[in-house]
Amino acid sequence: MAGETAFLELARLFEALEETTKRNEKKALISSFLKRLGEEEIQPAVSFLTGRVFPEADPRILEVGERTIWEIMKDNKQTLLIKKKITILEAMECFNEISKMKGKGSRRKKQNLTESLLNQATSLEKKYFIRLLLGEMRIGVVEGVTLGAIADTSSIELSLVIRANMLLGNLGKVAKIALKRGIEDLKNVNLTLFQPIKPMLAEMSYDLEEVFSKHEGQTGFEYKYDGARVQIHLKKDKVKIFSRSLKDVTMSIPEIVELVKKQINAEDALLEGEVVAYGTDNKPLPFQYLMRRFRRIHQIEVMIREVPLKLYLFDVLYLNEELLIDKPYNDRRRLLSTICKPDLLVERLVTANISEAKDFFEKALKHGHEGLMAKALNSDYTPGKRGKKWFKIKPVETLDLVITAADWGYGRRRGWLSNYHLAARDEEKGEYLNLGKTFKGLTDNEFFEITNHLQKIKTKENRYTVYVEPKIVVEVAFNEIQKSRNYKAGFALRFARINRIRYDKHPENADTITRIRELYEKQFKFKAKLENTSLKKDEMKDK
Amino acid sequence: MFRIRVTDAMLLRDMITAISTLLDEATFDISTGGIKLRAMDPSRVAMVDFEWPKKIFDEYVCSETMKLCLNISELLKLLKRARREESVELSLEEKTNRLQITIKGKYLRTFNMPTLEPIEEEVPIPKVTFNAKAEITTEGLRQAIEDVSLVSDHVRIEIDDEKITMRATGDLMGATIELKKGDVAFLGVETKEVSIANFSLSYLVEIIKAAAATSEIATMEISTDMPIRLDFKQQQEGKLSFYLAPRIDVE
Repeated sequence: MAGETAFLELARLFEALEETTKRNEKKALISSFLKRLGEEEIQPAVSFLTGRVFPEADPRILEVGERTIWEIMKDNKQTLLIKKKITILEAMECFNEISKMKGKGSRRKKQNLTESLLNQATSLEKKYFIRLLLGEMRIGVVEGVTLGAIADTSSIELSLVIRANMLLGNLGKVAKIALKRGIEDLKNVNLTLFQPIKPMLAEMSYDLEEVFSKHEGQTGFEYKYDGARVQIHLKKDKVKIFSRSLKDVTMSIPEIVELVKKQINAEDALLEGEVVAYGTDNKPLPFQYLMRRFRRIHQIEVMIREVPLKLYLFDVLYLNEELLIDKPYNDRRRLLSTICKPDLLVERLVTANISEAKDFFEKALKHGHEGLMAKALNSDYTPGKRGKKWFKIKPVETLDLVITAADWGYGRRRGWLSNYHLAARDEEKGEYLNLGKTFKGLTDNEFFEITNHLQKIKTKENRYTVYVEPKIVVEVAFNEIQKSRNYKAGFALRFARINRIRYDKHPENADTITRIRELYEKQFKFKAKLENTSLKKDEMKDK
Repeated sequence: MFRIRVTDAMLLRDMITAISTLLDEATFDISTGGIKLRAMDPSRVAMVDFEWPKKIFDEYVCSETMKLCLNISELLKLLKRARREESVELSLEEKTNRLQITIKGKYLRTFNMPTLEPIEEEVPIPKVTFNAKAEITTEGLRQAIEDVSLVSDHVRIEIDDEKITMRATGDLMGATIELKKGDVAFLGVETKEVSIANFSLSYLVEIIKAAAATSEIATMEISTDMPIRLDFKQQQEGKLSFYLAPRIDVE
């Protein structure tokens, strides 16, 4: 019956999905489940399936963390006066209520509501509620499988489903339209200005030859700035700016808002660009400072002066009431150049010549940028799925680091040591100094293997963490080295992930603090350092 | 048509405060005989069971049975503006479906607020056979609960043939409160068997504090690991009871 499907049935589907690794089986399971749902149930069920409580483009958050759940699960548990079966809709309603609680006393109210949800649940339901709350669904259902299942169930072409999902940023809503209203409604899905869309992604490449061959000999290269990708929505005097993760950052960067109002010559538009922070010497500042500005909402005037931002536009997706995503990249770029001055556009080179491309890449790095984007000239704007239409080209760095401790995992990684403390060697003192933690990069088998291994070399432990002898070396890839007061090493790795376990390598041969320092300084060969500004003071305060 | 009046504003204000410990919104059942409310808090851990017969009111006019759903926290804000010697009248403006609140004292104040869509769900009373019952002064109960809440966020309540024992164990401190024959606060026990159950103080403290303003005598009924029933004796056959589900040790 519509609206009556028990959450338990969804939990059973999750179990079945976790059991299989075969994409087609997953798709079939999802598809047959979707068919049974009432119209209003589709949206929450599909959201939950992809591990989200709220749609991607929805700014609401739960603010229920591991600590809260731990508080609930410890010692004794609150029972209920009257138990009843939880439906999918009731679970959604409960999450809505939790997200509404704000301000004084809200933490307790959130905890009470979460507790009552968990206490009503069977152990199977509880398992998935906790995963949902912690945002760690991990049943091997990525967006792609769900998109495929929606396409199969509704017999609508996959590309249309993907397109609608990009424009809405709400997979559940896409499913509802596809399944209950049909192809015509799905085709008519349009973007709504001031609601963020999902950005098109690029594939990583380290090889210019590959790029040229995939793009049929000629491609459009753009600087890949070490900034933050933003989408700018504008209509007359109203401007809203969203980050890559679809968060509204308009309030934090008023000077960019003003710039857009003054400099963009259009009635309405959706533009994409990169915001980059600059130091006083006109070199780009490391990403961490930019992110702080994005989060900042106080003393913005001081920030504007001390950490000036620049905007580089690279795409236009909507212009004067026309949706442009199906037009070729080259045409969009030309349209973009008609509505703003050239100094607002990303540095670009269209070429078929590999040595020209190489020079351009070197130039980008020399100016302190991350690398290049390569975009096929005829490519439409296709979101989500990484295709060969856009590539990003970056130099890679890896370090060999030693594991000094590991935290017990939650949710699906419960029972495994899954978050590893990484350290570099201090060759003078013979110590290992931590500079980061990561749980990324290992397979399930490796988690299992390394957990066993770490327990054998345990030196001490507490409730959360097992400390070990510095014996295991791992190869770690990362995007940047940052200064940090959180770690003994004085540095932190940005986006660290483990490439592989180096059983062949002895900890004495791991990378040293000196090497980290060199790499950090090298970053600044082309980058500005921040001195005596309020951001710098923030940094000192951050413990 | 619905209109009620009390000459002492505090009476109504204290009652609404007691209800507000569990509910943000409440659907009252209004009939020619009086007003009733039975509802669970959103997390289904506690229930309030409330009845005020018409004779409690100085004026009570009701022409037909109806459900009236109100935002309790908003109503309470308005009632808090009334002073002890002032009278309060609530009436339903039928055309607009708004509730009018009239406070008469040194001068006349009239507020109005919207009524909400009533919740139709009938809530049954939890089926519990209580094996132990104790009668105590509400003030004594309030003091005891405030004592134990200093050390922990839950309390173990035990009733035997002679006494009520409340015990709390915190991370650092512990507390034991005994109420027994001869104590001023203790009015009597009746037990079929010794009963023990644990309860969350975050609920108990608020419920008892608010209910204490409306009542002198409280009856507490428990059974081992079952919900507690707290009844706060009201004037003129009124009723104010709370049920609270226990906390149970995880195996």
